[in-house]
Amino acid sequence: MKVIEIRISQDLCKGCFLCVWACPYKVIDVGKERNYRGVNVPIVAKLEECRACRLCEYRCPDFAIQIITDKDVELLREAEQIELRWQRRVELAEEMEVSE
Amino acid sequence: MRRLDFAHYLAKKYMRTEMLPHAFCPGCGIGIIQRAVLMAFEELGEEEWNRTVFVSGIGCSGWTPTYFRRDAIHALHGRALPLATGIKLARPDLNVVVFMGDGDSMAIGGNHLIHAARRNIGITSIVVNNMIYSLTGGQLAPTTPMYSYTNTSPYGNIEPNFDLIELMKASGATYLARWTTWHFIQLKNSVKKAIKHKGFSVIEVISQCPTYTGRYILRKPDPRDYMQWMKDNSVLFDVAKEMDKKELEGKIVVGEFLDRDDRPEFSELYWSLIKKKEVEA
Amino acid sequence: MSGKGERKLVIGYDALTDAAIMAGCRFFAGYPITPATEIAEEMARKLPKVGGIFIQMEDEMASLMAAIGASLSGLKAMTATSGPGFSLMQEAIGFAAITETPVVIVDAQRVGPSTGMVTMPAQGDVIQARFGSHGDYSIIAIAPSSVQDIFEHTVMAFNYSELYRTPVILLLDEILVHLREPAVIPDKMEVVERMKPSVPPEEFIPYGGEIQREMPSVGDGYNLLIESVLHDEIGRRIGTDSIKGSRMIKRLWNKIEGNVEKIAKEEFFMMDDADIAIVAYGSPFRSAIKAAKIARSMGIRVGVVKLITLWPFHDSMIRRVSEQVKAFVVPEMNMGKMAREVKRAAGEKRVISVPKLGGSLHTPEDILSAVKEVA
Repeated sequence: MKVIEIRISQDLCKGCFLCVWACPYKVIDVGKERNYRGVNVPIVAKLEECRACRLCEYRCPDFAIQIITDKDVELLREAEQIELRWQRRVELAEEMEVSE
Repeated sequence: MRRLDFAHYLAKKYMRTEMLPHAFCPGCGIGIIQRAVLMAFEELGEEEWNRTVFVSGIGCSGWTPTYFRRDAIHALHGRALPLATGIKLARPDLNVVVFMGDGDSMAIGGNHLIHAARRNIGITSIVVNNMIYSLTGGQLAPTTPMYSYTNTSPYGNIEPNFDLIELMKASGATYLARWTTWHFIQLKNSVKKAIKHKGFSVIEVISQCPTYTGRYILRKPDPRDYMQWMKDNSVLFDVAKEMDKKELEGKIVVGEFLDRDDRPEFSELYWSLIKKKEVEA
Repeated sequence: MSGKGERKLVIGYDALTDAAIMAGCRFFAGYPITPATEIAEEMARKLPKVGGIFIQMEDEMASLMAAIGASLSGLKAMTATSGPGFSLMQEAIGFAAITETPVVIVDAQRVGPSTGMVTMPAQGDVIQARFGSHGDYSIIAIAPSSVQDIFEHTVMAFNYSELYRTPVILLLDEILVHLREPAVIPDKMEVVERMKPSVPPEEFIPYGGEIQREMPSVGDGYNLLIESVLHDEIGRRIGTDSIKGSRMIKRLWNKIEGNVEKIAKEEFFMMDDADIAIVAYGSPFRSAIKAAKIARSMGIRVGVVKLITLWPFHDSMIRRVSEQVKAFVVPEMNMGKMAREVKRAAGEKRVISVPKLGGSLHTPEDILSAVKEVA
């Protein structure tokens, strides 16, 4: 399984570092930069060591990390279609707010 | 409308991403429980997801299903189960999944819990047990360990606690399991089994609350230490049977405790009764 | 009332349960409590025959929550109780109000407070029906005065709950629940059905506009977020935004209070030339009519205003009547609760409250002596 990249969300990460603790291969490490929350978002230290065991994903409470293989690209694309469909309702609700 | 830079595909597919990041503390176990439930549905398939309704009580755990992009009813403290009973009776075709906290289900909702189990109504209850009342700031719960210091037991807790599994066994529930958020894969598999299971199923999840239980009771405010503690102190049910009481002190017994199908499920029993009466009328 | 009917002797709880079923009620969750137990018993017998669901829950709070759950799942639902149970249900009534769930709650009032006089009638819960739950919300409460009324008003209660997306309280007393008298039971009545959504799920706004009549059931793909916290148009919590919160509370309040003229109902008897008005509801109305007739025969120009909806209170109607009459007489089986509302709306005119406590009903003489006092 070829790991293309590891995506970590700056918006969602809360800096609990459970992913760093979980990784048996020391692929991820605590980052140097802080995000808008003030936490050091983890960074990918050794991508080549990643075997896509996904323990970091299982330990992350915030859905902020995903190991991207070919299959994941496809899964993300499908998921985004669904997400886009439902954005309409949020937009409608926000239009209602503005027009009040 | 604010867009996130990235979210896991499970979040994009099954959650209301416009409401993310969720309100749970950094390292909170509830996020892990959410993921386990969503992975369970990912494996069960779209059909099961499409006919699922979530209900929750009040507390940190009460917010769990409000982030799911599926019908979610955030009901009153302790009264999630009667509401879920109404839904299951009216629409027996739906999967009804209820999220409750330890205080929500065993304190104020204790009565409703034992009656739902007694009726064996087809509801899947996930009890998030963090051994404290977290949303209100760290007060005593019926599951708080003896002699712990919390905001309402400043001199130490002198109330012994409930064993939810024993309580449910005696009340008549038909699928019982206890896992911790460390036992991710087992938890996901139990959720799958519980949703498919016809009668009243209860999955107790020992979940970390680093902010209160971690700081006040376990002295492990870092979620990593807390999860290590859960891993080190869990004993599988089959192994625990061989151990004596002294060894089991302070341990969390995990596993699938009960899986019986000899009791009729309530809504099925009721609807079969109606069909007879309708014909007679 | 529509449809032809058969005139027969009917008992209160029988009329209530038949009317509920005719209005489309297919779910009842209850708990035994005197004097409302017979309502639960009748529903237990009648509902399965029409494919409905009856369940006796473990307490009154569970009963109302189960009824709300069933209502959210597409069924018209009802529960019935008396004073002690009604007090228990208040939190759930607030929940039904904020989630805008149609549900009918019958309160067969008995003497309170607390366990009170278990088998004796009273009207002591009338203010609690409006203000029993915490916070700011509005609600509709209806008070029948005869078995015929029970039938028609039960259907009205279900219709109002659908039209205004609100819980509706049906206030009876022990006398009316157990009263057997002639009534005409029609074979059909005008029933307001639940409106299904007219737009696809991605465009459906559950709490949009002044009143959202369209109500999908859970489990039908609309991804509803039904919250007990104060929420916005699509169910997301408002949190700490005071401006938005205040707007949503006003929307909830004005949904009913702003539609008083459409919702409030009353009937006038002998009011055209009256200069004293007896304002009555429930069982005391029967004594009031008799008292008015006796007074008329004595030359006193009395009329009776029969309140049908107690809440939202019809301020403008009382104000109009107060311009015509010189005094109001309000007989109630409580210490004078609706009398306070009448007094508030009646301005300068005298309002005499005629309480009758301990479980006995006003005799026409009780009311007549008050009328003579102001004549």
